[in-house]
Amino acid sequence: MREVSFGQYYPSSSFVHKCDPRAKILFLIVYIVAIFLAQNFYALGACAAVFAVITIFSGVPFKSLLRSVKAILFLLLFTAVLNLFFYQGGTTLVQWGFIRIAKEAIYATIFLAVRLSLLVLGSSILTLTTTPVSLTDGIESLLSPLKWIRFPVHELALIMSIALRFIPILTDETSRIMNAQKARGADFETGSLLQRVKAIVPILIPLLISAFRRADELGDAMDARCYSGSKVRTKYKKLTFTWRDVLLFIVCIGLLTGVILLKIYTVALI
Amino acid sequence: MEAVKFENVRFAYKDGGEESDVFSSETAFALSGVNFSVEEGEFVAVLGHNGSGKSTLARLTNGLLTPSEGKITVMGLNACEEENLFEIRKQVGIVFQNPDNQMVASIVEDDIAFGPENIGIPREEIGERIAFALNAVGMSEFRFSTPSRLSGGQKQRIAIAGVLALKPRIMILDESTAMLDPKGRKEVMDVVVKLNREEKITVILITHFPEEAMLANRAIVMSRGSIVMQGTPQEVLFRAEELEKYSLTLPKSVKICRELTKNGLPVEDGLTADAAAENILRAIQKMDTETVENVKTTWAGTRLMEDCERNTVKQDEEQGRIYCENLTHVYNPSSPFATYALNGVDLEIRSGDFFGIIGHTGSGKSTFVQHLNALLKVPCAEKKYKEKKLKKGELPNKKPVLRVNGYDLTDKTTDFKELRSKVGMVFQYPEYQLFAETVFEDVAFGLKNFGNAFSEEETRFAVKEALKTVGLDYDSIARKSPFELSGGQKRRVAIAGVIVTKPEILVLDEPAAGLDPLGKEEIMRLLHNIHKDWCKTVVVVSHDMDEIAENCTRAAVFSEGKILAVDTPRKLFEQSQRLFNVGLDVPLTAKIVERLKEQGVAIECDYTTADFVEKTLCYAKTIGAGTRSTKKGGAKNA
Repeated sequence: MREVSFGQYYPSSSFVHKCDPRAKILFLIVYIVAIFLAQNFYALGACAAVFAVITIFSGVPFKSLLRSVKAILFLLLFTAVLNLFFYQGGTTLVQWGFIRIAKEAIYATIFLAVRLSLLVLGSSILTLTTTPVSLTDGIESLLSPLKWIRFPVHELALIMSIALRFIPILTDETSRIMNAQKARGADFETGSLLQRVKAIVPILIPLLISAFRRADELGDAMDARCYSGSKVRTKYKKLTFTWRDVLLFIVCIGLLTGVILLKIYTVALI
Repeated sequence: MEAVKFENVRFAYKDGGEESDVFSSETAFALSGVNFSVEEGEFVAVLGHNGSGKSTLARLTNGLLTPSEGKITVMGLNACEEENLFEIRKQVGIVFQNPDNQMVASIVEDDIAFGPENIGIPREEIGERIAFALNAVGMSEFRFSTPSRLSGGQKQRIAIAGVLALKPRIMILDESTAMLDPKGRKEVMDVVVKLNREEKITVILITHFPEEAMLANRAIVMSRGSIVMQGTPQEVLFRAEELEKYSLTLPKSVKICRELTKNGLPVEDGLTADAAAENILRAIQKMDTETVENVKTTWAGTRLMEDCERNTVKQDEEQGRIYCENLTHVYNPSSPFATYALNGVDLEIRSGDFFGIIGHTGSGKSTFVQHLNALLKVPCAEKKYKEKKLKKGELPNKKPVLRVNGYDLTDKTTDFKELRSKVGMVFQYPEYQLFAETVFEDVAFGLKNFGNAFSEEETRFAVKEALKTVGLDYDSIARKSPFELSGGQKRRVAIAGVIVTKPEILVLDEPAAGLDPLGKEEIMRLLHNIHKDWCKTVVVVSHDMDEIAENCTRAAVFSEGKILAVDTPRKLFEQSQRLFNVGLDVPLTAKIVERLKEQGVAIECDYTTADFVEKTLCYAKTIGAGTRSTKKGGAKNA
C-alpha cells in the first residue's frame, strides 16, 4: 500500500515542532502583520532575522522550504515585472521606447519580492512543523470564544477533523478508480478539452457514490457511539502552553515593537 | 437477566430503499415477526445470506432503527422510546463492516476518545479508558498512530476499542470481518472471544463465516426476515441440507468429513483441522473388512492440479506470458517517506497458468500487479526518463526486464494502450467502479476506448458474450442500471467489463473479497470458465490460502517487496514453516495432512479438497487390504 504523505508536514521533534499550535498560529498572525507594517528594508530585515532564527530551531531543511517558494514563483515573477515596468514617477534609469525603469522601481520590486517570499516562507514553517490534526485543534481552541455568539465551533472542528481523516481515503479511492478505468482503456491525458472533461465522468460518478456511502455509514457509526452534539460533551485533548510558547510570545512582541519603532523612526534612519 | 429481547418485531424500510449493507439485496426488506432473546454474557452468532435481515436486527438493537411493530427491550430499557436511546447506545456498541468508515479522527487515541467525549466523561477518565480499551484489543503501542497506516485487522481492532471505551455491556459485530484477510479476521475474532470470556461482554456476532459462528455459545440462522434455525453451533452448522436451503455453506472441515463418509469412510464431523484429523485417524483405525469394501476410489473423477497444468501450460509461448527480472519500485522517492514497494523481483508466469499471488498488505503484490499493464511504469519507460549520470565509482543499477504478452514494458515506444487491451485488470471491489447508465454501456466502455472499429452489431455481440461468460443473461440485464443490481451481480458486470476486450491475460486483485462463502465459490468457478475458453493466463491475488490451493496451478509468495518462493501449491504448502515465518497461513487440507503425518499417516496430495479426499480414501483402502493390522500398529506407535 502506498503511504500517503499528506500535507507538507516534516516529521521531527524540534523546538518549533513542540510548541503549542495556538502559539504558532498567533505567532504567524503577528509575523504577517509585522511584514505588512514594515515599510523599509530595516524592518523587513528584522522580520527575516526572526524567520531565520525560527527556521534554524525548526530543524526543517531549507530545501523543503524552497519548495513552497517554487509554488508561487510565477506569481512572484509576474508582480515583479509589473512593478518594474509600470512604476510611476521616480528617477529614470533606463528609457527604451515606452519602457522605462526607475531607480525606485527596482527598489520597490525587490522589496515586494522579499516581502511575498517571507510571507509564504513563514506560513510554510507553520505547516511544515505542525500536523494538520494539531492545527485543527489549535484553530478550534482559538475560535472557542466565538461559542458565546452561538458560532458552531465544535461542529466546525469535527468537520475539519473528519475531512482530514477522509482526504487520504478518498485520494486513494480516486487513484484506484482512475487506475481501473485506465485499465479499461480510458485516457485522461490526451484529447481536446471536451474529451478530457468527458473522461472524468467515469471517475466522478463512482467517487461520488462511494463518498455518499461512506458518509452514510460514518453517520451511523457516529450515532452508535452516542454522538448527539449535546452540551454534555467533554474534550479529551487539552492544549497547554509551556515555556517554549512563552519564549515564542516574547520573540513575537519583540518583533512587533521593533517593526513599529522602525516605522516611526524610519525617516531618521534613512 | 436478558440483555436483549425481541418480541414479535416487524420492520419495513419505508422508502423501499436498501439496507445500507454493502452487498445488500435489491428488494425492500422487512423483518417479519422476530422473537428472540440474548442472555447477559452470552455469545450469539447470527448467520444468514445477504439481505436476510441480520443487519436490520443489529440496527434495531441500538435504536439506529425503530421497529414498525413489536417490542424490543435492551438491558431492561424499551428501545422504542426516544428518551431511552442515549442510555441504550451507551450499553450497546456496534462495530460495522468497513473499518475506514467508522473513524472520525486521524490519530488513534483521538478516535477512541470520541465516544467517551460524547457522553461527557471527565478528561482524566477518558485517558484511562483509552488505555484500557487499547490494552483490551492489544493495540497499546499504536496509541499515537494514524489509522491509514494500519492494516485492516488493526483498524478493525481500533474500531472495537472505540466502542469499548464507552464500556458497553453488549457488543454487536455487524459483519466486521467481511473485508479483512484471514490474518486480520483471526486477530479480530481472538479479541472478541477474549472480551466475551474476560470482560463478560454479551456478544452478538453477525457473520457469513461458519468458522466464526463456531466460537459462539449459540447460533441463529435468519432467512427472509425470520429466524429459521437456532441451537448450539454444532447443532446448526452440521445440518447441511437445511443450511443449503438458506444459501449457507458447511464449514470446510465438515465438508471434507462428509465427502469421506459419502465415499464409504465413515468420518465423524470435525469443526477444526485438529478435530477433522483426529476423526479421520479414528475412522481409519476402526475400519474392518466390511467397511473397506465400501470405500470408493475413483481416479477418473479427480482433477489433479498438476495434470491440469500439463494440459494448459505452453512453455515458450509469448502470448499470455509474463516475465520480469529485477523489478524495483519506490514510492515517494527522495523524500522522508520513501518506501521500497518492490525490491528486485524476478518472476515468470507462463502462458496458460492459473497463477496465484500470495502476500500481506504491503508485501508489494499490488504494486507488482499494477506493473503488468503499465498502470505503474518502469522508470525507463516514462516519457521524461533520462539516464542518470553515474558518480565516480558508482555501479550502474541492474536494468529491469519486464515482458508481458510479448510487449517490452521497459521501452518508451511500446503501445501501452494496446497492451492494456491485452492485459485485463480487475481491481478489488470492482463493483465500486461502475458508472454508466446501463449495464450495456458500462460493459462496452472498454471496447469503445480501445478501438473505434467496432460496429454496433459487433459491440452488442461482444457484450453479450462477455455477460454470458460471467453467468448473466443479456436480455434481462443489459438495459438495467448497474446500480439496481445485487452485490454479486454488480461484481460480475464489472468483470464482464474487463474481459469484453478478450484479453490474453486477466489479472484479478482479490476477486472474492467481501463475498460470502457461496459467492466466493461461484466467482472462482467463473474464473475457471474464463480461463478455459476466454483468457490464456489468469493471475489471482489472494490472501486466502484455501482459494490458492483449490484453484491455482502455481503461486508466488511475496514478502517485503521480494519473492519468497514460486512453486506449485503442493510444494509451496509443504514448507508450512516458511509461510508461518512471514505471517501467512496454509490451507485447511495442509493442516489436516500435517496432523495426520504427526500420527504416522502420510497422505500425499496437492491440497485440493478433491485430491485430499481421494488420496485419503486410497490410503484407507490400501491399509484395509491385507496389511491392515501391521499398519494400524505402526500408526499408533508413531
